[in-house]
Amino acid sequence: MKIYITLVLLTLFAFLSGWFGFVGSIVVAMLLVTTFIKGQLIVDYFMGLKDVQFKYRVIPIAWLIFVLFFIGIAYYM
Amino acid sequence: MIIKQKFPPGDFGIWVIIYVEFVTFAALFIGYAFARRADVLMFNESQLLLDQRAGFINTIVLITSSWFVVKAVKAIKNNNGELSADWLLRAMGVGFIFIVIKIMEFSDKFEQGINLSTNTFFMFYLMLTVFHFLHVVLGLVILFNIYQKTKIGGYSNADHVGMETGASYWHLVDLLWIVLFPLVYIMR
Repeated sequence: MKIYITLVLLTLFAFLSGWFGFVGSIVVAMLLVTTFIKGQLIVDYFMGLKDVQFKYRVIPIAWLIFVLFFIGIAYYM
Repeated sequence: MIIKQKFPPGDFGIWVIIYVEFVTFAALFIGYAFARRADVLMFNESQLLLDQRAGFINTIVLITSSWFVVKAVKAIKNNNGELSADWLLRAMGVGFIFIVIKIMEFSDKFEQGINLSTNTFFMFYLMLTVFHFLHVVLGLVILFNIYQKTKIGGYSNADHVGMETGASYWHLVDLLWIVLFPLVYIMR
């Protein structure tokens, strides 16, 4: 339940920042970080990779870091 | 000390599919982000035509549905097939809301004359969301099959690999949307 509520609250944060028209590099950074947190929670607790050997857990986490890093680069460059 | 499982939940074949999906969507997400750099103003103005509320509701819908599937897997691990089937039914019901909202969103855009050739933003928007939409449809078909098998007692504590396989795919659909929503609807 805690994981679910955290995911909902982080999504609410993303929505409100768009709804109130917040823009800028700090907002983008916060959105990228909260997206990473949400993704990691899904990978660990929904997909159940928290209890699996690290080599399998690291693939989706590395994917998240890779994608969000390059999105960040594209927005900041 | 907790002993880690040797393999991820479900059939390993689904994980190969999941890794392929990662590569495909990574290309689309990063492609969108870099394409935006060519005309930031046009991307920002086009983004304002999207319904952020629909995107938000759909994110909550997918998270909720995914959570219900977690509950279904937990129930079958406790050998409670009836409860597991109930959670799967709820997950499908909530997942269906995503389909309805997305069809409404698509119809609205098509009525406005928006299509793949409108501009680069809408090309990416339609490619990403239609592609993801098809994954949701497939996910619901998979969940329905798992639900039917669960209903007739096809899964148990000892044998629920099939359910975990479908569940892993459904969580992937959720994970992809988790990145898609802020990127396409919110980030400016």
